[in-house]
Amino acid sequence: MTKEENTKLHDSVFQMLPWIIPSVFIILWTVISGTGLIPTYLLPHPVDIAKACYNYIFGTPGEASYSGRFLSDAVASLIRVFSGFAVAVTLGIPLGIISGRLASVQKLMSSTINGLRSVPGISWLPLAMIWFGIGIKTTIFLVALAAFFPIYLNAAAGARQVNPLLLQAGAMMGVKRLKGTFAILLPGAMPHMLTGLRLGLGISWAYLVLGELTGVPNGLGAIIMDARMLGRIDIIVVGIIIIAVMGRISDHLLKTSMKFCFKSARRMP
Amino acid sequence: MKPKLAPVSKIKPETPKTTLRIKNLRKVFRTNGSFLTVLDEINFSVKSGEMICIFGRSGCGKSTLLKILAGFLSPSSGTVLLNGSPVTGPGPDRCVVFQEDTLFPWLTVKENIAFGLRGQIREKNAIWEEVEHFLSLVGLSEFRDYLPREISGGMRQRVALARVLILKPKVLLMDEPFASLDAQTREEMQNLLLSLWEKLSHTVLFVTHDVNEAITLADRILLMQKSPGRIRDEIRVDLPRPRKRGKSEFLFFSNKLYEELQD
Repeated sequence: MTKEENTKLHDSVFQMLPWIIPSVFIILWTVISGTGLIPTYLLPHPVDIAKACYNYIFGTPGEASYSGRFLSDAVASLIRVFSGFAVAVTLGIPLGIISGRLASVQKLMSSTINGLRSVPGISWLPLAMIWFGIGIKTTIFLVALAAFFPIYLNAAAGARQVNPLLLQAGAMMGVKRLKGTFAILLPGAMPHMLTGLRLGLGISWAYLVLGELTGVPNGLGAIIMDARMLGRIDIIVVGIIIIAVMGRISDHLLKTSMKFCFKSARRMP
Repeated sequence: MKPKLAPVSKIKPETPKTTLRIKNLRKVFRTNGSFLTVLDEINFSVKSGEMICIFGRSGCGKSTLLKILAGFLSPSSGTVLLNGSPVTGPGPDRCVVFQEDTLFPWLTVKENIAFGLRGQIREKNAIWEEVEHFLSLVGLSEFRDYLPREISGGMRQRVALARVLILKPKVLLMDEPFASLDAQTREEMQNLLLSLWEKLSHTVLFVTHDVNEAITLADRILLMQKSPGRIRDEIRVDLPRPRKRGKSEFLFFSNKLYEELQD
C-alpha cells in the first residue's frame, strides 16, 4: 500500500469517527429491545421510534395524534431559540468586550454577574411566568438569560487576553481607538467570542425546552411534555432526538457562518 | 503687487537637520510605594538619516527609552521633540519594530503590510501596488498570501519591517528586533536593514545588547549605564560600509565596547 493510499484510508476512517458512537448506541439499543428484557412502555424498539419519527415529520396533520406536526413545532421553537439567542448576543458581546478592556466596568459588573450566574435557570421560571405569562415571552426571557452568561464571560476573557502589543502596534501605525476596536480588538478576541457563542447557542436549546414545558401549545419542548402526559414515550424519544440533531446543525451553521463572515474566525489557530 | 523675493543665489549646502531631540529626559516608576529612577538626564539628538544604536546591558532602561520615544510611555520630566514639535503619543511618524511577534495573526503577509497604509490611502490599487513594492524589497513576494504562523521567525520580522517602512516614518525605532533569531538569520536581517536604509534613507534608532550588531549597524553608539539609566558615553563608528567582522578596525571597536560592558 502506498503512503498516499494509506493517508486516504486514514482520512476516510477519520471522517467516520463522529458516527461511531451513535451507531454503536443504536445497535445496542436494538439488541436489548430485541431480547424483550425491558418493557416497551419504558423503552420502545428503535424501529417503532423510527416509525413515530417518520410519522411526526412526514405524516398528514390530523391523521393521527402528532402526525405531521414537525414543521410547525420546529418553526415555533426556532423562532424562540433565535430570538432569545439574539438578545443574549446583542447584550453579551458589547458588554463583555467593554468589561474585558475597562477594569472599572469589570469591577462594577463582576459580582452581580457571577452572583446571577449561579442561580439555576429553572428558578427563574416561576418569576418569568408571573411577569410574562405562559408563551413566547417567557421562553425568550429564559433563553436570553441563560445564553447571556457564557457569551458575556467569553467575550470579556477574549478582550482581556488580546496581546497589548498588537494594540500598541496598531496605535503606532496610526489606528485610532474606535477603528482599533474593530480592526484589532474584536478579531483578536474572536476565538474566545466564538466559543462563547457556541456555548450560548447550546444552552439556548436547553432552556428552550424548559420554557416550553410550561404549557405552550406548540414547540419541540411542548410535545415532549404533552407526550409524557399522554404516555407516548416514543414521541418523547423522538423529541429528544430531534432537539439533539437540530442543536448540532445550528452549532455547525453558527461556526460556518462566522467563518464565512470573519477572517479572524476563518484563520483561527 | 508685492515684489517677489529675489531667487536665492547661493544654494545652501545639504546640512542634515536634526530630526529627534531629547532634552533632560527622566522616567521614574513607582513600585509599591518606592520610587525607581529608570532614566535620568538623557540628552541627545539624532540627525535625519542617521543610524544610532542604543547599547547597554539588560535592565539599563534602553527599552523604556524607546517606548517613550514611540509615545507608549510618557516621561516623568523632560521632552522629546520630533522636528521641533513635542511627541505626545504613538503615531506613524515614529514606527516601532518590536522584539516580540506583533503581526496580526488573522491577516496574511500582504494584509499585514497594508494594515497601516489603509489609514493613509483610500485607493485600493495604490495600496496593493505599494505593498507589492515593499514585499519585493524585503524579499517576500512569494509569501504574500501566507499567514504569519506559516512562515519563519526571520520572515515575520521582515514583514514587521515592511509594514512600518511602507508608512515612511521619520524615525524607525527598533527594540532588539533580531534578538530572538538565530545567528545567521540575524546577520541576514542586519544586512537587509542596512540595504533598505541606504535605499530609503530613514532615521534609525536601534536598541541592542549585541556588540557586533551595534558595530555593524551604527553611525554612533550611545552607551547606557544602569541605575539610574544614563547615557555614559558616545562612540562614533567611522568604519566604511559594508563592515566586515574579521577586520582589525572592527575588532578594535568591539574590544572597546566589551571593555565598556565590564565597567
